[in-house]
Amino acid sequence: MLGARGQRPRARLTMHWKTRSRLTSWLLGAVTIGFLLFQWLPMFTMFLLSFAGENGGTTFPMNGVSLHWYRKLWDADLFDDFKPPMLRSFLLALGCSATTVVLSVSAAQAMRGRFLGSGAYFYLLLLGLMAPGILVGFGFAILTRLLGIEGAWNTTAYVVHVSWALPFGFMTMLAVFNRFDPRLEEAALTLGANRITAFRRITWPIILPGVIGTALFGFSLSYDEYARTLFTAGSDGTLPLAIMAQLDRQLTPELYAIGTVTTVMSLVAIFLCTFAFWLRSRALRGRPTP
Amino acid sequence: MAAPPPALPQLDLELRNIRKRYGGYTAVDGVSLQVPKGQFVCLLGPSGCGKTTTLRCVAGLEEPDAGDILIGGREVTRDPPWERDIAMMFQDFALFPHMSVAKQVGFGLEMQKKPRAEIARRVGEVLTAFEIDHLAERRPAQLSGGQKQRVALARAMITEPRILLLDEPIGALDYSLRETVMLELKSLQRRSGISFIWVTHDQNEAFSLGDLVVVMNHARIEQQGKPEEVLSRPRTAFVAGFIQGNNILRGKAAGAEAGLLRVDAPDGLFSVPLRGRPAPPRGSEVSFSVRAERLLESPGPEIGNRLSLRCNVVEYFGAYRRHVLEAKSGALVKYDQFGALPQSVSPGHLVSFGWKTEDGVLHA
Repeated sequence: MLGARGQRPRARLTMHWKTRSRLTSWLLGAVTIGFLLFQWLPMFTMFLLSFAGENGGTTFPMNGVSLHWYRKLWDADLFDDFKPPMLRSFLLALGCSATTVVLSVSAAQAMRGRFLGSGAYFYLLLLGLMAPGILVGFGFAILTRLLGIEGAWNTTAYVVHVSWALPFGFMTMLAVFNRFDPRLEEAALTLGANRITAFRRITWPIILPGVIGTALFGFSLSYDEYARTLFTAGSDGTLPLAIMAQLDRQLTPELYAIGTVTTVMSLVAIFLCTFAFWLRSRALRGRPTP
Repeated sequence: MAAPPPALPQLDLELRNIRKRYGGYTAVDGVSLQVPKGQFVCLLGPSGCGKTTTLRCVAGLEEPDAGDILIGGREVTRDPPWERDIAMMFQDFALFPHMSVAKQVGFGLEMQKKPRAEIARRVGEVLTAFEIDHLAERRPAQLSGGQKQRVALARAMITEPRILLLDEPIGALDYSLRETVMLELKSLQRRSGISFIWVTHDQNEAFSLGDLVVVMNHARIEQQGKPEEVLSRPRTAFVAGFIQGNNILRGKAAGAEAGLLRVDAPDGLFSVPLRGRPAPPRGSEVSFSVRAERLLESPGPEIGNRLSLRCNVVEYFGAYRRHVLEAKSGALVKYDQFGALPQSVSPGHLVSFGWKTEDGVLHA
């Protein structure tokens, strides 16, 4: 069969592999854009409907364009109803974020050196990802009742939220430490820094972007958590609980306005973080030389 | 228990029987070393021979399982790195990416809690001395390989430690830079009086820089001595083979006479000087080496050690011409011809070679 490659009849449509590869990338690009639309369009419909006119409903077609529902949100009692849960959710998310950062950094730091049972430890931590939220919340509620502990948004719900955000933060920090060069710490040690100083002056500033990412995870996972909060928050609910309750009672474009406001707040937070990242990476690269 | 030998204060570094195991793997197996004041020591060996682990034990980054480490006569085996009078330079320099050059060069002094004004002054001096003062405000990402190397060196030297540990310090540099940097480092070491412990797998570095060369293999020291000593008298077949330009011949001991050992090899009967060593028992396996430039082409009758070799390849390196020759037994022998002599042996030729008896070096 020598020379078989050369004897194969020429394809009628000959296409250079580079051209084909370019076509493939166009196709994949189209699929990606489709996916992004799929992800964002539902939210966009909500944004749109929140700007509906006074007589606007909660479905299309849109009835006029106004800021009516935002004004109503600002004035009306409904917003007052939402204010306390919003504050609770915000504080809970902050607390969850801070705790997740501390625990994730410590846990990932521990994983840097292998220890007895480190494999089991790794999988046990990640198990939090797999466990269905509603069962975790319910089980935790049963457990606390058994122990005679009154559930509250800032005690039992807080613990459950941290257990939910921790696997995400842990994975993030593992990835960060994977790329971290331990010789930087060793260099600091040989230059006279003790372990604490080396961590503070070398490790911490370098892993900081990852830490910010972990903090974001901790915040956003807690802020919109419903299933795990349902049974553990006690009498004073969080924002997701309040919204779900309101959805049960009456659906108005006001809720869309709330959704839009909170989403915009999240986007602003993400934008600020990205900007901080950008500033930081520019600082690491250094100022351009004149 | 016998009292340990007294510490010698004039030694910058002393290792006593250092051992280090990782699980079932022995990384360092009974390494002992004495480094007098202000020495340039090169730890030479193939990768995985334990030279870096030994260095890390001296730095305190690894804890040896057994043995003692003394720095300047003081026992420091269990002391952490930050309490040892050392500094270390890493292969990829390990510069702190988030600190300017000035900041990281001053890091060591900052750790010593020196006043800010003094740090600034010393950093300025050192940057000037290393000709990197114009880089003071740059970050590592904005430096070339050679500049990084200078920054790493300045950062390590500024605290004037007793010992500077260097782990393949010029391995990351371009070849064209290495020679210059080697010369600079050698003269820096002379001027500073700081002992350098330099880990490398490159014999050119080791033999051109070291006051003392320590050849390691399989977690042990194979030989230590002055460069000329190690080069001219490799103690073991490993050292002879590791150093370029040695021919290793193997055979059986066939009796000794007048300080010469007779070696019965597949390609002939050779005499090798014992140099005061007891003769190995008759019939035992022995090896010896002859340097490639010591071979004599078509030797006269006064040369007792001779064998005929067929030429396979001739390579020209500018300073010398290397011939790869093959003996009847299949053993490969190198013959280096220095000087601008015309080529006299070509591939395919069968030529008689020999060497003066005193050029043979018997291995342990």
